[in-house]
Amino acid sequence: MTTSNDGGGDVRLTGISKTYGSFTAVHPLDLTVPQGSFFALLGASGCGKTTTLRMIAGLEEPSGGSVHLGDQEVTHLPPYKRPVNTVFQSYALFPHLDIFENVAFGLRRRGIKSVKKQVESMLELVQLGEQARKKPHQLSGGQQQRVAVARALINHPKVLLLDEPLGALDLKLRRQMQLELKRIQTEVGITFVHVTHDQEEAMTMADTVAVMNAGRVEQLGSPSDLYENPTTTFVANFLGTSNLIEAEVDTRSGEDIVLRAGGGKLVLPGSRCSAPTTAGGKVLVGVRPEKISLAHADEAGAVPEGRNRITGRIADSSFIGVSTQYVIDSPVCPEFEVYAQNIDRDARLVPGAEVVLHWNPAHTFGLDAAQAIDAGTGADEAAA
Amino acid sequence: MAAATGAPPLTPGTEEPKPPRRRGRLTPYWLLLPGLLWLVVFFALPMIYQASTSVQTGSLEDGYKVTWHFVTYWDALAEYWPQFLRSVLYAAAATVLCLLLGYPLAYLIAFRAGRWRNLIMILVIAPFFTSFLIRTLAWKTILADSGPVVGALNTLHVLDVTSWLGWTAGDRVLATPLAVVCGLTYNFLPFMILPLYTSLERIDGRLHEAAGDLYAKPSTTFRKVTFPLSMPGVVSGTLLTFIPAAGDYVNSELLGSTDTRMIGNVIQTQFLRILDYPTAAALSFILMATILFMVTFYIRRSGTEDLV
Repeated sequence: MTTSNDGGGDVRLTGISKTYGSFTAVHPLDLTVPQGSFFALLGASGCGKTTTLRMIAGLEEPSGGSVHLGDQEVTHLPPYKRPVNTVFQSYALFPHLDIFENVAFGLRRRGIKSVKKQVESMLELVQLGEQARKKPHQLSGGQQQRVAVARALINHPKVLLLDEPLGALDLKLRRQMQLELKRIQTEVGITFVHVTHDQEEAMTMADTVAVMNAGRVEQLGSPSDLYENPTTTFVANFLGTSNLIEAEVDTRSGEDIVLRAGGGKLVLPGSRCSAPTTAGGKVLVGVRPEKISLAHADEAGAVPEGRNRITGRIADSSFIGVSTQYVIDSPVCPEFEVYAQNIDRDARLVPGAEVVLHWNPAHTFGLDAAQAIDAGTGADEAAA
Repeated sequence: MAAATGAPPLTPGTEEPKPPRRRGRLTPYWLLLPGLLWLVVFFALPMIYQASTSVQTGSLEDGYKVTWHFVTYWDALAEYWPQFLRSVLYAAAATVLCLLLGYPLAYLIAFRAGRWRNLIMILVIAPFFTSFLIRTLAWKTILADSGPVVGALNTLHVLDVTSWLGWTAGDRVLATPLAVVCGLTYNFLPFMILPLYTSLERIDGRLHEAAGDLYAKPSTTFRKVTFPLSMPGVVSGTLLTFIPAAGDYVNSELLGSTDTRMIGNVIQTQFLRILDYPTAAALSFILMATILFMVTFYIRRSGTEDLV
């Protein structure tokens, strides 16, 4: 994360919270979004990410805490006095105005001259120059989405807030718009705060992602940092897939922690463990499915020394082109997932085969075992 | 595989299924028929009858004959144009008052009433449970010379102003233009509120948020977003108020005087007291044509055709 020196365009949330009656949508939250960054608030529906965004926009009055844009406190300013613009989830384009007037709306309200020139060049930026005199309902979803972005961006806000802006688009268009938004952000250099429930979207677009759960920020970091070093089971499961194994701390050897799981031993780098490790204590050991190599049990001897290894039986395999996804039934973990690149396929690796799973200990991460092991998998979401 | 072969085979030998459209094609006409019959019997036929009456001459004793006597129209207009003008003025005044009173209320119900919404809606419709006539008679009591309303207006010297404007006469309200316009406003107010409410309620609340987000003050949001989007309601509300108000005669009859006679009163008198049927029919047609003309012009001007 880089922080600008003058703090001119930083969004600073200090202890901001929101309660509705006895329900707490957002627990006191501290967050700094550096100027010029593409920041994503990621979480399942109802996690408080949209509420947080709306508090920055001024559409929701915080129950506590403060909001700063640069040096200016805006906590109690109405939305129309904030140098912030929003791209709404369903775009909220004005149906009685044509595209040109929709985009010109903010400029006209602030009494800015040269509206025509600015609107035209903004419509060029989002490739809608031809559509200026159409009404919103005459455009496709993707085009409406671009109008919504143009309508907000033309005001040169200090921060652009995007509330699930791609939610209504189909998958292909969504991918296309993700790249488009990223391009626009790089071009205009405005701070973007993007709310989404789509982890792939957050990871491909944002420089920094804050994963939210139940009104709290679980973890904040760059997409690769969050993916490689999750600190909670929610993040480990919500971002991609993680195999989590319950293990017991055995000894410490130098930088590494040696753990017992099932009958075998696993090694975990101490720096990658976010949980307290006292001998005999429990830790959740995690590893991503694509980090694991798969060998047939007959080849067990060929597995190099120094790698973490567990045994199991292939329960299921599905071929998806670039890779094959295996589900392994192992004594330490009932549904262990392994993604193997389709380079040299071993014909013996079919359901029912006994296998050895092994991986570089450096790819292991450790989590506090006091958490629910299935948080963020979707299984808990369905129950909630 | 097993499932695929086990699926029932298409029954061979049966003739091509007939497209099931045959009967469906007539359905719209069947659906149209009851309403159409009703309109023919109770609207089209009386209209034709009235049209023929308007160009007849004769007397009750000798009977009437169609003589294509279009002069009746000219005579009727020449004699009763002040009442026509008055009808349009009173109806317009009542419509404007209804809009001024009804818009804030409809706005309140649509956006701010919360759990009181249904209760307020019922209160708006409640007067319909009583007869139009009785409600208008009640206004006679409300505006009575010795009543509290007139007393209060007198004390506040409001009546001096309205009398100077020619809306009231002396220290009376009853039997003045003001009383008639008040009655019209009261009686047609729900016809203004309901369409206004319907179109306001359909406005997506996020549009207000979007306008605020784009630097529009609440008053600007109203001017630039809410009001334009409620235009369909404004247009239908004003039409539903203006049209019946222009043809109304009950309010003028009960709350007005001979100086406040509207065209409805003239038509009623011609039909039922003077028994001059051709003139009455001609006046009816002139009124209809006037309203039709004004409404067409109004809808064109307001440009609501392409609003959602």
